[in-house]
Amino acid sequence: MLAAFGLALPAMPVLADDGQGVFSLQGFGTLGAARTNSDQVEFVRDISQPRGTTTKWDGRVDSVLGLQANWRVMPELEAVVQAVTRYRYDRTFTPEIAWAYLKYDPSAHFSFRAGRLGTEFFMLADSRLVGYSYLTVRPVGDYFWYLPFSSIDGGDVLMTVPVGENLLRAKLFYGISDGYIPRAEEQWKIDGSPMTGAYVEYLLPSWVVRLSYANIKFKRSLPIAGEFSALPPAAFAPDDAASSLDYLETAGTRSHYYSLGAVYDNGPWQLQFMLNHVDQGSKAFESSTAGYALAGYRIGSVTPFVGYSWVDSDRRQDRVNQVVAVVAANSRSVQETTILGARWDVARNIALKAQWDAIRGDASSIFPYRREQSDWRGKLDVFSLTMDFVF
Amino acid sequence: MIVRRLRILAITCCLLCLPVGNAVADLVVVVNARCGVAAMTRNEVINIFFGRYRQFFNGREAQPVDLVDAHPDRARFYAKLVGKDLSEVNAYWSRQVFSGRMQPPQKVATPEEALKWVTSNPCGIGFSELAKADARVKVVYELSP
Repeated sequence: MLAAFGLALPAMPVLADDGQGVFSLQGFGTLGAARTNSDQVEFVRDISQPRGTTTKWDGRVDSVLGLQANWRVMPELEAVVQAVTRYRYDRTFTPEIAWAYLKYDPSAHFSFRAGRLGTEFFMLADSRLVGYSYLTVRPVGDYFWYLPFSSIDGGDVLMTVPVGENLLRAKLFYGISDGYIPRAEEQWKIDGSPMTGAYVEYLLPSWVVRLSYANIKFKRSLPIAGEFSALPPAAFAPDDAASSLDYLETAGTRSHYYSLGAVYDNGPWQLQFMLNHVDQGSKAFESSTAGYALAGYRIGSVTPFVGYSWVDSDRRQDRVNQVVAVVAANSRSVQETTILGARWDVARNIALKAQWDAIRGDASSIFPYRREQSDWRGKLDVFSLTMDFVF
Repeated sequence: MIVRRLRILAITCCLLCLPVGNAVADLVVVVNARCGVAAMTRNEVINIFFGRYRQFFNGREAQPVDLVDAHPDRARFYAKLVGKDLSEVNAYWSRQVFSGRMQPPQKVATPEEALKWVTSNPCGIGFSELAKADARVKVVYELSP
């Protein structure tokens, strides 16, 4: 199907007779640089990135380029392909077909999509890569780190119903995930894992409030067998290793994602309030609760913003042995972040942003980072500069 | 391209020559008179121009038209409707477009072209200065000055 898209698109006329575009090519991107004040951990944008930044400016964390082609086959039918290049799980910028789907809008009340789709696990989660569309340099870490799932192969249906002058929207989606999560020197394949989700959203003139739920059932085990077999048999009996692996099994377990979000957007004000809870089915991960509040106020073409976020994971009490405890502790995050920054809309479709994240957490908070050193104390300041654009 | 530039230049000159009272003339939202829409609330106008819901209360599908950024009426329209800068409106649309939800309304270069769009589509809806709205369109919402 993808090949068919690729072949069919260049042959299409750019404009229809009535002047309305049938085919459009649009893009978005971010040129970013980020550094921290510590060599104790590497800071990443989300857990899909295998290496991160330390005390030297690093362009890998936030830089991204995306191209999207839309083809309106008929008034109600649209084909969309989006390709994205960013620093990814295998340490390259290999471009990927992020999305490729057909969208069918038979009426104002229903919209159907099928193909490779962006996931909306949480509010705003499906536009995480489009820096130009939001205030901060990147989606708030404490809230969005755990979402390496960027797309599914499946379908969704969106229903819109007017309630008086306001609107009620509901979406249902189902699909098979496709992707990798880097873990130490290996990658955990999460392809083949089915995801299901839904949200209900109420739209007022200035407010949007959304309640959402999603889950993923992991198909594969974590690549941790090597960590057990590397231990000397005297220290760790093979039977213990086997039972530990059983205990930490991820294959067949289901993780649940609950969230509540409210966004206010009127005049110079932009406010966001979000809460989530992640209930992990596998004992290899700690469940967590996170939230954030963000406020921005535009003055001319500059919008300063301030935010506060936190994440708190539930320590598992039932540890079988030391190695199991170490694996489970890898998914621990207990920290809060104060965010201060500004977005400057410097020219049409170009925004410059500067941001300071003051992360204050526990020394055990290592899930959001890479290569934590033994002297990590949980305190980190992150400085970021980006130029976001759309075209 | 040259024609368009000349047109923009001409419009700019006209705007500069206009007395202040006209330059800040009231903007109104107009709908094709044959669509059967008599009045709209601010909320309904927002829902249609921000692509949230593309149907009028009478069940007919709205066909909105917008102006290009270069035309000053576009900035005035969104400033009065939602108090937003064009950069914020464009950021909103980039989120919709790149998350695959929807495309923004068709854009034209001048209010005259917008009115042509409104009258040539059964339920076209656009915005223009009150003085330019003729009998072929119905003024359904007035933006407070």
